[in-house]
Amino acid sequence: MLRYLSRRLLGAIFVMWVVAMLVFFMMRIVPGDPFEAMLFDSGDPAAAEELRKKFGLDQPAHIQYLIWQWNTLHGEFGFSIYGSHQPVSRLIAEALPRTLSLAGLSFFLAVLIAVPAGIIAATRRNTGADYTVTVFAFIGLSMPEFWVAILLIIFFAAHLHWLPAIGYVPLSEGFWPWFSHLILPAVAVGTGFSAIMARMIRSSMIEVLKTDYMRLARSKGLSQQALTMYHALPNALIPVVTVMGISFALLMAGAVVVENVFAIKGLGRLLIQGILNRDYPLVQGTILVVSAIFVFSNLLVDLLYTIIDPRIRYDK
Amino acid sequence: MSSKKNVDDPHAILQKELGDAYDFDPADPMAGLTTADMSGNKLTRRTVLRLMAASGTLTAASLLPGIFTPGEAYASGPSGGTLRCGWAGTPELPTLDPAQINMVLLFQVSSNVLSGLTHIDADLVSRGDLAESWEVFSGGTEYVFKLRQGVTFHNGDSFTADDVLYTYNRSKNPDNSIHSRVLNNVQSVEKVDSHTVRFKLGKPQASFLTKTLERASGRAMTIVSQGAIESMGTAQYGLTPVGTGPFKVTEHTLGQGVVLEKFENYYDPERPKLDKVTITPINEAEPLAAALEAGDIQLIGGNPVAPELVDRFVENPDIVVNEIAGPGFQSVWLNPWRDPFKVPDFSKPVSELMKENGFKVRLAIAKGLDRDRYIKQAQFGRAIPAYGTINPAMGFYFDKTLPETSGQRYDLEEARQLLADAGYPDGKGFPELHLICTATAKREVTVIANILKKNLNITVKPAVKDWPVLLEHFQKMDFDMLRVGSGGDYDPDDGVVDWMQTSSKFNGRNRDKEKMPFGFFSDPEVDALIAEQSAMADIEKRRDIIHKVDRLTSDKVASVFLYHPKDILVHHKSVNFPAVSRIPGLVDLDRTTIS
Repeated sequence: MLRYLSRRLLGAIFVMWVVAMLVFFMMRIVPGDPFEAMLFDSGDPAAAEELRKKFGLDQPAHIQYLIWQWNTLHGEFGFSIYGSHQPVSRLIAEALPRTLSLAGLSFFLAVLIAVPAGIIAATRRNTGADYTVTVFAFIGLSMPEFWVAILLIIFFAAHLHWLPAIGYVPLSEGFWPWFSHLILPAVAVGTGFSAIMARMIRSSMIEVLKTDYMRLARSKGLSQQALTMYHALPNALIPVVTVMGISFALLMAGAVVVENVFAIKGLGRLLIQGILNRDYPLVQGTILVVSAIFVFSNLLVDLLYTIIDPRIRYDK
Repeated sequence: MSSKKNVDDPHAILQKELGDAYDFDPADPMAGLTTADMSGNKLTRRTVLRLMAASGTLTAASLLPGIFTPGEAYASGPSGGTLRCGWAGTPELPTLDPAQINMVLLFQVSSNVLSGLTHIDADLVSRGDLAESWEVFSGGTEYVFKLRQGVTFHNGDSFTADDVLYTYNRSKNPDNSIHSRVLNNVQSVEKVDSHTVRFKLGKPQASFLTKTLERASGRAMTIVSQGAIESMGTAQYGLTPVGTGPFKVTEHTLGQGVVLEKFENYYDPERPKLDKVTITPINEAEPLAAALEAGDIQLIGGNPVAPELVDRFVENPDIVVNEIAGPGFQSVWLNPWRDPFKVPDFSKPVSELMKENGFKVRLAIAKGLDRDRYIKQAQFGRAIPAYGTINPAMGFYFDKTLPETSGQRYDLEEARQLLADAGYPDGKGFPELHLICTATAKREVTVIANILKKNLNITVKPAVKDWPVLLEHFQKMDFDMLRVGSGGDYDPDDGVVDWMQTSSKFNGRNRDKEKMPFGFFSDPEVDALIAEQSAMADIEKRRDIIHKVDRLTSDKVASVFLYHPKDILVHHKSVNFPAVSRIPGLVDLDRTTIS
C-alpha cells in the first residue's frame, strides 16, 4: 500500500509539474499584454516598462520559468501583477474556503438528492417513480447553471425576500449567515450534479440487481431494504464514487459562472479574472492548486475503492 | 421682495443671480469679471453664471446640474446608519491606491476615502479640498496653495505640506505610479512653510486644477499617507488606504467588498452623515437588480447601470432613478491606413478631403449611422448622440450647436451618395469589414452592423476580443473598425489631449511608425489648437478653441462619434443623495443620509 501511495504521489507531482509548465508557456503565447491593458488609461510606456522589470517579465521566458519554478518549490507563488499586487498565495488562501464551502454544500445537496432518487429509480424500474426521477434528472441536466441561479435569486431573494441575493459570509460569522448566503448558489450548482449522479446510481444499481449474487440473496428471503442497502448499493457505488470524485474536483474550480452570479470570489472566479487580466502569476498559482485538487481527489477516490470493495487491494 | 425673504428663498436668489448674469458689456472679453473672481478656492456661482451668459450657454437649466438638478427634490435625512451599496460591473475592487487606480469605479470609492488639493463639484468646477485657497503667478506657471490647517489622516498623522511633497515624489516616479505622465508639466513642488506649497509648471495648463490636482479623476496628486504606506506596505495600502477623506476603510476583502466607516476627525464636522458604508462588487446585471429589489443593497455605484434595467427601476415605486449627462464619449474608430477608409493626410481642408474616396467612405459611415436608432436599440434610449469628444456634462465647454451642424449629422441620402461617389453604389463591391469589440459590447456592435447594413448595404461583422487583445489591435492600428471610448472626462483635455492630438496617448501608440506616421488621426491645425487651449488661462477663449477642435475633428471624421453616456444614479427611496453631491460619474457619499 505504501509503495502504491508513493508511486501515486510521485505521479501526482509529475502531473502537476507538466500542467504548471504547460500553463506557464501557454499564458505567454496568448495574445494581449497585461501591462498595456492595465495602463491603457495612463498611457505611460515608462510605467509599463517599470512594472515589467518589477515582475521580471522583461526576462526571456525560459529564465522567467526557472525563477518561477524555484520560487514555487520554496512555497512562493509570487505577486498578482494586477491591482494592488497582492501575494498570490493570499488570494488563493482567501478564495479556497469560499470554494470549499460552495463545493462542499453543493456536493452534499447533490448526494442527498441523487442517492435516494437513483435507488428509487433503479428498484422501481419502469414505474411512475422511475419516470419521475428520470424526467427531473433530465430537467436538472438541461437547465444551465446561470439560468437556475438567476431564477433562484429572483424568486427567493427579490420576490420572497427569504434569502440574500448575493455575497458570501464565512462560517466563522455564524451558521445561518453562512448557510443563507450559500444555499442558493449550492442549489444552482448541485442541481446538475445531482441529476448526473442519480442517473449513474440508477444504471449502476440496475446492473448490480441483475447479478447472480443478488438473485441468491433475494432467494434467501432478505428484505428489499437489506438487499438494496447492504448488497446492491455498496457494489453499485464503485463507478458512482469515480464520478463523485471528479464532480467534486470540477466543483472546486468549475463553479465560476455561479460564483460570478452570486458575487462569490472563489477559485474559479479568481482563475477567470487572472486569465482575463493576463495576470500570469495568479493564473499559474491557481492552476497549480486546482491541478493538485484534481490529482489528490482522484487519489482519494482510488483509496476509497478499497473501503467500498474489500476485493480491491493495492499492495501487489 | 425683502432681503429676509431672499435669504430664505433659494429660488428668488437664483432668479436675481440669473438676472445679474447678463449685466455686462458684451464687448468685454472678461464679461465684467476680474482676475480675483477667477482666483480663490472655487469659482462662485455668480462667476459661473456670468461666464455662461457671456458664452450664450445660459439658456438651458440642465447646463447647471448642481443648481438645477432635474427630477425629484432630495430631502435630507438624519445622520447615522449604514448604507449598503452594490458596485456594478466588476468582480472586485482590485486597488484603492490612487497611484494604481485605472478605472472610474475605483476612484468613485477612493474619492470617499482620500482627499486632493481640489475636488470638482456638481458643475465640474474645481473647489478647494485640502487646499484652502490658491494664487496664480507668472502667467499661470506658478500656483501657491494655502493648505487647510488641522487636518489629520485616518491613522492620526497630521496633514502638512510634506504630504503634498511625498505624494508628488511618489507619483512622478513610474515605478510607483501609473499616473506619472499626468505630472509631466509640473517642474517642481516646493514647501513654502508647513501649510503652503508652490507648484511650478513648465507651461500654463488650463486643466491643472481639474485634471492634475483633482482628488478623484486626477489620481496623481490624490494625497496619500507616507506613514501608512511605510508601515503597511503598498500591497496592503492598495486594499485599505489611509487618507484624510470623510470615510476610512476598515475592511477590504478582494472580491467580497469594502467596509467604510465614518472618520470622526474629518475636517468638516458636518460630514460625513453616515456611520458606515458597505460596498459589494456585483459583476452581473440581473443579480445586481435583484439585490436592490430585495433590499440587500440600497444604492448602485460602479460601472454604468445596464440600460435595459433602468425602465424596470423607474417602474418600481421604492426605487429612485436620477439621470444626468455623464462624462465621456464612445466611438467607432476607422483605420485610416486600410482600405476602404484610407486617408494618409488629414491636414487638408475638408473640401480637399472630399475628393478622396477613403474620406468619402468614412463620412458616409458617419452620416449613415443613425445614432437615434442606435441609442434606442442598443442603449434603450439612455444616451446622448455624440458628434465630438466634448460631452454635455462639461456644460460650459460643450458645443450645443455641433449636433445640428457637424459633418457627421445623420443624412442618409448624402451618405448613400458619398458611398456611390467612392465607387460603392448601393454598397456594391464594398469589402466585408470586421468591427472589433469586447464581449460585453457585442450586442450594441451588432446594432451598429445592422444599421449600416440596412442604411448603406455594407457588411460589418462583429469580432469579439477580450480587453487586452482589443487594446493590442487598437494600439498597433491593426483593425478595420474598432469600438472603444472614454469614461471619466471631466476636463476637455481628457477628450482632446488624450485622444485627438497626433501625440495623444491613445493614438496608435504601438503602431509601426515607419509604415504609419500617425495612428487613427493627425492634423497639425488640431494639434496646434489643442496645445494652445491647454496653456490658456482665459476659459472663454479656451472654450472657443475647444469648440473649434471639436468641430474640426468631427468634420474630418477623426472617429465616428457615437454617444455620450448618461450618468444614472439608482438608489432606494430611503436614501437621500443630495443634489450637491451629484457629480457626474462620481458617487460621493459624504452628504448622503438614510431616512
